[in-house]
Amino acid sequence: MLTKRYVCIICPNSCEIEVEYSEDKINRISGNMCEKGEEYVKKEILCPERGLTTTIKVKNGSLPLVSVKTSKAIPKEMMMKIMDEISNVEVEAPIKIGNVIIKNVLNTEADIIATKNINKKVK
Amino acid sequence: MIQKEIDIVIVGGGPAGLSAAISAKRNGIDNILIIERNENLGGILNQCIHEGFGVEIFKENLTGPEYMQRFIDEVEKLGIPYMLNSMVIDINSDKELTVCCRDDLYKIKAKSIILSMGCRERTRGQICIPGTRPSGIYTAGTAQNLINLRNYMVGKRIVILGSGDVGLIMARRFTLEGAKVLAVVEILPYSSGLPRNMAQCLDDFGIPLFLRHTIVNTHGNRRLEAVTIAEVDENLKPIKGTEKKIECDTLLLSVGLIPENELSKNSGVIIDETTGGAIVDENLETSVRGIFACGNVLHVHDIVDFVTLEAEKAGISASRFVKNKLERYEMIKVNPGVGIRYVLPHFISTKRDVKFFLRVMKPGRNKMILIKDENRIIKRIPKLRVNPAEMIRFELKKNEIKGVKELWIEMENVN
Amino acid sequence: MKREFDILIIGGGVVGCAIARELSKYRVNALLVEKECDVAMGISGRNSGVVHAGFYMKPGSLKAELNIKGHRMMPKLCEELDVPYQRVGKLVVAKNEQEVECLYKLKEAGDENGTKNLRIIDKEEIKKLEPNVEGIKALHSPTSAILDPFIFTIALAENALRNGIRILLDTEVLGIEENGSFTVKTTKGEFKSDFVVNSAGLFSDRISEMVGISKYKIYPCRGEYHILDKNKRDLINGMIYPVPPREFGGLGVHLTPTTDDNIFIGPSAEYIGEVDNVANTAEIMERLFKEAKELLPKISKRDLIRSFAGIRPKLIKANSKEPGDFVIEESPDVRGFINLIGIESPGLTAAPAIAEKVVEIIKKKMKLKINQKFKPKRKAPVRFSKLSDREKSELIRKNPNYGEIVCRCETVTKQEIIDALKNPLGARSIYGVRKRSKATCGRCQGGFCIPKIVKIMEELFQPPIDDITLKGEGSQLFIGKTKDLRR
Repeated sequence: MLTKRYVCIICPNSCEIEVEYSEDKINRISGNMCEKGEEYVKKEILCPERGLTTTIKVKNGSLPLVSVKTSKAIPKEMMMKIMDEISNVEVEAPIKIGNVIIKNVLNTEADIIATKNINKKVK
Repeated sequence: MIQKEIDIVIVGGGPAGLSAAISAKRNGIDNILIIERNENLGGILNQCIHEGFGVEIFKENLTGPEYMQRFIDEVEKLGIPYMLNSMVIDINSDKELTVCCRDDLYKIKAKSIILSMGCRERTRGQICIPGTRPSGIYTAGTAQNLINLRNYMVGKRIVILGSGDVGLIMARRFTLEGAKVLAVVEILPYSSGLPRNMAQCLDDFGIPLFLRHTIVNTHGNRRLEAVTIAEVDENLKPIKGTEKKIECDTLLLSVGLIPENELSKNSGVIIDETTGGAIVDENLETSVRGIFACGNVLHVHDIVDFVTLEAEKAGISASRFVKNKLERYEMIKVNPGVGIRYVLPHFISTKRDVKFFLRVMKPGRNKMILIKDENRIIKRIPKLRVNPAEMIRFELKKNEIKGVKELWIEMENVN
Repeated sequence: MKREFDILIIGGGVVGCAIARELSKYRVNALLVEKECDVAMGISGRNSGVVHAGFYMKPGSLKAELNIKGHRMMPKLCEELDVPYQRVGKLVVAKNEQEVECLYKLKEAGDENGTKNLRIIDKEEIKKLEPNVEGIKALHSPTSAILDPFIFTIALAENALRNGIRILLDTEVLGIEENGSFTVKTTKGEFKSDFVVNSAGLFSDRISEMVGISKYKIYPCRGEYHILDKNKRDLINGMIYPVPPREFGGLGVHLTPTTDDNIFIGPSAEYIGEVDNVANTAEIMERLFKEAKELLPKISKRDLIRSFAGIRPKLIKANSKEPGDFVIEESPDVRGFINLIGIESPGLTAAPAIAEKVVEIIKKKMKLKINQKFKPKRKAPVRFSKLSDREKSELIRKNPNYGEIVCRCETVTKQEIIDALKNPLGARSIYGVRKRSKATCGRCQGGFCIPKIVKIMEELFQPPIDDITLKGEGSQLFIGKTKDLRR
């Protein structure tokens, strides 16, 4: 049986969670202040996921970049691949918070969505 | 010159200022003005594109711009007036503000002022890093602005000094953008950022953290070519013989934030040397009557939701002040004791329930926060973990502090 | 581009620029070349900014003569060129009886050199002049002054340019051939000239060697400084100096107010190997602060906003018995080659007098006709923060760019940044903006305003990313755009 310590990253409480597990099952989880912590640790052991936040280039916008996030957490190992994908994308202003910029990015079932309003550039 | 009279002037349109304005408006004051120096509202959150905002208030995990937009929308909906690209260049003790803006110089007479200017980053000069002064040395927030808003990549091979949250967030940001973060160097034996940021910004990417280390030299006359790091002893002095040179083109400094109170000082507001912010009472009123402070200009927060909550309170107090309804009770002093770096507010009336914010000196486990007066322990609050990076909040009910003449907050070990 | 000149000046420091300006009073074809991206990039911008009254210099020396002369010329010159100049006065403070003796020696030298109004004052008078300073006696020099050495050098260059002198930045001299006249090879091609003036400061021995004069050697002597936040300016009224140490390294760690209301602490004096090593060192940074704190107990490390270092181009080695003097001469071996070597302190003060002396040397060899169109005045761009509220308002109404504050610490407006970027010399680095407008000089050290200055650069010039530099070629701020590393 293995024991591992995690810092839960779900919220700023940063619970330190201790988990005892063997290859096929989790035996004991302690230290978490809420259920989300338990969920997080389970995922972290089986298939770690992360939300990704970054920026995408904007054409004719009041700013040269729009901030974006994945609509849901994606497998951790996909982060860099998605970054590569995003680096070649450019979107036209105006953009609204929640606009889908890339649908189902690299078949992760997550969309890349805007997290900022960007107006058209005033000439 | 344009003269104006305003009931409540809010200096700074970041998270604190917007919440204070909304709260003042909801408490019946219409003649409000937010003065913002940048070209849009939202302050520093504009560049904080990562998640982690709003968990406390909205029960949602939002990015900085999303969090901020909710407040901007509310300000618009309530029709609260604001000025952009406008800088307050002076506040005098009569609560008269001088504001510089693109159409004229304004002289604004305020009944009440809410200070919400935020903070600035500690620089290389203040921590006396030896070495040359090439390009490629940035404070973390400046790099964040350049990368996230201006689309400029500041470097390829990065060393970060200080493990504050902005530095950790930037370590991940750099890595995602394809740069190599070679080391995060922290002079203390523990990180000064939130544990979750250590986990998801460093551990996730295998970025090494050098605790008890500092930068003892910078190399290169034009662009940075390398830094030398060294281990420090218990007095935080570099230990000879432990130097290690790391070739890099960028040094990022995440070595602390300083509440930006130059304007406050002009108006006569007295500053707490420890927090760098104003000395305030339970109404968040400063030493100048009618001037209130909230957010990072009062003390540096780690979570924006608490800025919002604090600012709401400042908004309420200011609106009561304008309506002549702010009670004037006698105040007692609240003192930080053993193990406590600071506690806010500095003064309370004991006539009301009060929420306190404090920070501890050092990280630890199994601690007890003690609230005492001259004679007895009023309350004990157990803490499984404490960390200077994490602000601790607690509340005292008025019946718990009735008749108390002075308060001390201390921390002790639990056996 | 014109390639043939009467006179070619090497080095855009304060001395080179003063010579250029002095020459512009005559109808000459002259060119000044500077290897850096701006003028005042070397020692001219890395010193205390003091206009010395002349009592430190050995009587009879060239240093003493040119110091006294430069000091007398300075008020009028700064007025003509619109350069910040303040006669704040100086106290050289003795802490014990032994040091008092030195004060009398300094006064004696000053009196002999022609320094005006020197007085030895007692403890009470010290307290009256400087309530925060401790000492048993002091030498008071009321005519000692401060100026902004960056602006002074820039103003000299701008005025020279306006009056017809050519100035080329980013132009490094690679070699000089002498065959009756001179052929100067540079990174911007070859130039022919009848006279060459070597005012290359720290590199003057190397330039001299290019024409075969190898008898001079520069011994670099570094001086480190700290800069104090302007909220501490009120702690002193004028300059506070200790009694100078016995070795001729420097004048001792002193406190010098600047015309922008900071206080400089420093400089140290340390002989080093390289002429371009302007690094600060942990040991000296610590020592400077400690010594300053002894002079002014009310300062703390929190008040430090920046440290820097400059290098004195000394002609003498460490522990020399004699202070060394300026070399200003037409080389006896290479006709037409005017050597200026060892121009360290009081070089800033003496610069206008040195310039006159150099022009006198040229005049002996070449007929110089008066430039009837010479305009002595130069108008500095507006400094918004120094205006009254009414003036500020009027200015903003005329030009809204004065209403937009870019640098919050020093209250510098967008128009001032534009003025700095569109300067007559064509210098465009962040340092160029810094020297001219004072943006980035404050307590946040550019953290907030550098992104804004870069944005204004974009608006004005759409510069390629490699042209956005801190201080010229090789000091690029950025490596590219985001996403570049991922594509």
